[in-house]
Amino acid sequence: MAGKKAEKGNLKLVAVLDLNEASVLHGQLMNARGHDVTIDASEVQRVGVQCVQVLMAAAKAWEEDKKTFVFEKVSDAFRKTMQLIGINIDHLLAKEIRQ
Amino acid sequence: MKKKVLTVDDSRTIRNMLLVTLNNAGFETIQAEDGVEGLEVLEECNPDVIVTDINMPRLDGFGFIEGVRRNDKYRAVPILVLTTESDAEKKNRARQAGATGWIVKPFDPAKLIDAIERVTA
Amino acid sequence: MDMNEIKEIFFQECEEQLAELESGLLKLNDGDRDPETVNAVFRAVHSIKGGAGAFGLDDLVSFAHVFETTLDCVRSNKLEPTQDVLKVMLKSADVLADLVSASRDGGGVDEGRSRGLVKELEALARGELPTGGAAEAPKPAAPKPAPAPAAAAPAAPAPTDESGFQPVPFSFDDEEETIVPSVYEVTFKPRRELYAKGNEAALLLRDLTRVGEMSINCDTETLPHFDKMDPEGAYFSWKISVKTEKGEQDIRSVFEFAEWDCDLDVKLAETTDEELPMVPVPFDLSALDDDSASEEDAAEDAASIQAAAAEAVAAAETATNVSKMAAAASRVEKKESQAAAAAAAAAANAANAANSAGQTIRVDLDRVDRLINLVGELVINQAMLSQSVIENDTTGTSSINMGLEELQQLTREIQDSVMAIRAQPVKPVFQRMSRIVREVADMVGKSIRLVTEGENTEVDKTVIDKLAEPLTHMIRNAVDHGIESPEKREAAGKNPEGTVKLTAKHRSGRIVIELVDDGAGINREKVRQKAIDNDLIPADANLSDEEIDNLIFMPGFSTADKISDISGRGVGMDVVKRSIQALGGRISISSRPGLGSTFTMSLPLTLAVLDGMVVTVAGQTLVVPLTAIVETLQPEASSIHSFGANQRLISIRNSFCPLVDVGRILNFRGTQANPVEGVALLVESEGGGQRALMVDAIQGQRQVVIKSLEANYTHVPGIAAATILGDGRVALILDVDAVVAASRGQSLKQESSLKSDMSLAAAG
Repeated sequence: MAGKKAEKGNLKLVAVLDLNEASVLHGQLMNARGHDVTIDASEVQRVGVQCVQVLMAAAKAWEEDKKTFVFEKVSDAFRKTMQLIGINIDHLLAKEIRQ
Repeated sequence: MKKKVLTVDDSRTIRNMLLVTLNNAGFETIQAEDGVEGLEVLEECNPDVIVTDINMPRLDGFGFIEGVRRNDKYRAVPILVLTTESDAEKKNRARQAGATGWIVKPFDPAKLIDAIERVTA
Repeated sequence: MDMNEIKEIFFQECEEQLAELESGLLKLNDGDRDPETVNAVFRAVHSIKGGAGAFGLDDLVSFAHVFETTLDCVRSNKLEPTQDVLKVMLKSADVLADLVSASRDGGGVDEGRSRGLVKELEALARGELPTGGAAEAPKPAAPKPAPAPAAAAPAAPAPTDESGFQPVPFSFDDEEETIVPSVYEVTFKPRRELYAKGNEAALLLRDLTRVGEMSINCDTETLPHFDKMDPEGAYFSWKISVKTEKGEQDIRSVFEFAEWDCDLDVKLAETTDEELPMVPVPFDLSALDDDSASEEDAAEDAASIQAAAAEAVAAAETATNVSKMAAAASRVEKKESQAAAAAAAAAANAANAANSAGQTIRVDLDRVDRLINLVGELVINQAMLSQSVIENDTTGTSSINMGLEELQQLTREIQDSVMAIRAQPVKPVFQRMSRIVREVADMVGKSIRLVTEGENTEVDKTVIDKLAEPLTHMIRNAVDHGIESPEKREAAGKNPEGTVKLTAKHRSGRIVIELVDDGAGINREKVRQKAIDNDLIPADANLSDEEIDNLIFMPGFSTADKISDISGRGVGMDVVKRSIQALGGRISISSRPGLGSTFTMSLPLTLAVLDGMVVTVAGQTLVVPLTAIVETLQPEASSIHSFGANQRLISIRNSFCPLVDVGRILNFRGTQANPVEGVALLVESEGGGQRALMVDAIQGQRQVVIKSLEANYTHVPGIAAATILGDGRVALILDVDAVVAASRGQSLKQESSLKSDMSLAAAG
């Protein structure tokens, strides 16, 4: 389970986003197509490149759909991994958590 | 959370060395004696990383690695192979079977810990 | 568990692997072509090599390596394991065993022999077939002039090889550049397989930050549309610039595990034109490490300290190697007490895991021995208790009696179970014999195969330990004297290859070991003549074939024309016989001229207890080992015949059997007892034939716990050991063979004869 879906459009990411989670995450986001999505990445301890790819492809798709795709909370580990692999998510962060 | 290491080796000597080294380095260690037992134990212990020998009775390291990679739940677990003298052919086979990396014997605690650190988060 | 203990485990494991190796090779020798047999053989050598490498036992490693390489050829069907090939391999297994013992106990090995075998093994691996006698022949024209251990060394690097004596594989330029930081441009494009094999690009990039200052650009152009993407695909690729004082190799080594599964390019940055927006990566990535960063530090500490220890080891003697590592490890443990506690918990976990898997435990033999002793006392105590209850219970049917019977049953079962702990298969001893056969056969130029059967027959460890020596002697004899030379065999129409068969089986509470050779058999004429020459028998003695055959067990007897190196070391079969007897065993020979000889040994399964018949002789209680007794009978006056001055015979079913008055032989009484008033125990003695032992009365049969008389008192002729009976009295266990021998005229020494008032109360 990549995320616990409280309600459609809200996605809480699990702690370990590894190879196995990439497909799960992809499926969950597939289900949320056409809706505004708020992602909670505050619990993430590990994130692999494949999950990042899924998230980035999704962000692009949402942008095309003119829907919001926003990270509402992110953990330190999540933020730093993005930095490490050279992915800028600043534009996807909720305003209140932008640095 | 301590990292959990599953070691698979039929040699009692090497098993004990792995146990001492990994415990001293703060890992939780689970041990199996061959590939068959390794696959059984895998289901219960959910390891962060696996260290396996190649030459073992019942199911050798190649078969064990393939087994792990075919397992839906554990296919992403990094697997380090204990090989001797940078045997290129064996390394190749291990890679083809799905090994993540290798540790060249003779057994050296520092090399082991280093390799584990490299493949685990 | 410290490294010394692990080393101990290593040597134990070596023993097991060596046994595995030998039995596998012997199976192959018998035509077994099961791939698993070859694998097991290979694994055995491989395992020994692996452990030896960890302990820096370089001689062992290099020999094992050469051996393993050749075995690998067999495994991959490049080399057919013919008898000639296996001969080399079996010899190599012997050398490997020698190297193991030399590593454990110090001392050297026959270097010429191992060097010769290394050459032979290497030749086999190259596809050259063995040339029979090439083993010892030096080969000056060998294609590879380098001595084998040296040739093997690079393949099996010793710690010192890694500590900087080898040229560093950098170019001179690179080394120059390590002084001034240079900027490298790294292009890294993972493929799908990289992730599938458990590698993670993010972790590789993390490790890259440890090489130097890093800026990164992630190329996301190939990322397909969300709907069409493979969630497990590899789309991102990176351009990284790394500013470091280290070299290109250090960067490449980060990708060591991944280089086959990615496109990787590392080069010095030529220009500073950065058309790509590079984002600097902060060096502090602690959040990416395990959330328990402190633990990881501990791990790294441990690793670095152990690395330091390993370096120290490289410089120091290999012998101290292990203890230093252990010391380093324990230092870490002290420093990180919580880590140690956690480690202990993990160890407990691991122990649990191990328990569920393994079905054996290793126990110090002393503990088992103590338990066996205590159970022996328990048996005695229980017997005493039973007896006193019976004596005091006039009604004889009380519930106490029932309870006591159950207690007796239980004690007996406990005793059996405890004895079973110490029971071991004779396999290791048998396996040692096959090496002896090989070596002796080689020395005397004979071709002999050893066939073993019943190796899993179990017998008490104390018996096994004492079995090896007499068995070795007999095997040597069989190979040296029993089996003829190949020429003689061929002339006699026999297979030039002789066979020695060693079997073990259980028979009526004893273990019977048979050694059968298909040699020439006993040359009775020669044996008889020799016995006459040596004054062992009178020239006119009329002996049966069996009796002649058994002459070879007489002290000082040797039929070999010349004393040979192998079996003629001044000890003859009489020594073998005595050591077998000392174990409470018997040995006999039967031989068929031209067809071979069979030695049969029968031994008790344990040296701790004995089933005996309790008898009375001149007021003394004696125990006669039940195994010696063929039957008991009540002599009638009509069947007693006098013969000579004081010899008597008893006629049993139309044959005559000498009557032996035990009381007289042991000097319990001065005059001969009247046979009609006593009981005759018909016993079988090894010199062939039966004797009737006269005793006054039979008290009953029971199992007795053997107490050594030598250990507690002193050796008494005619007496094998002592025991304590239910009533607390000490009873002596009769040495039947000694008594029979004494009756033949070799009288027991007077000065040590038993006195009837002798007190042995302290014996227990």
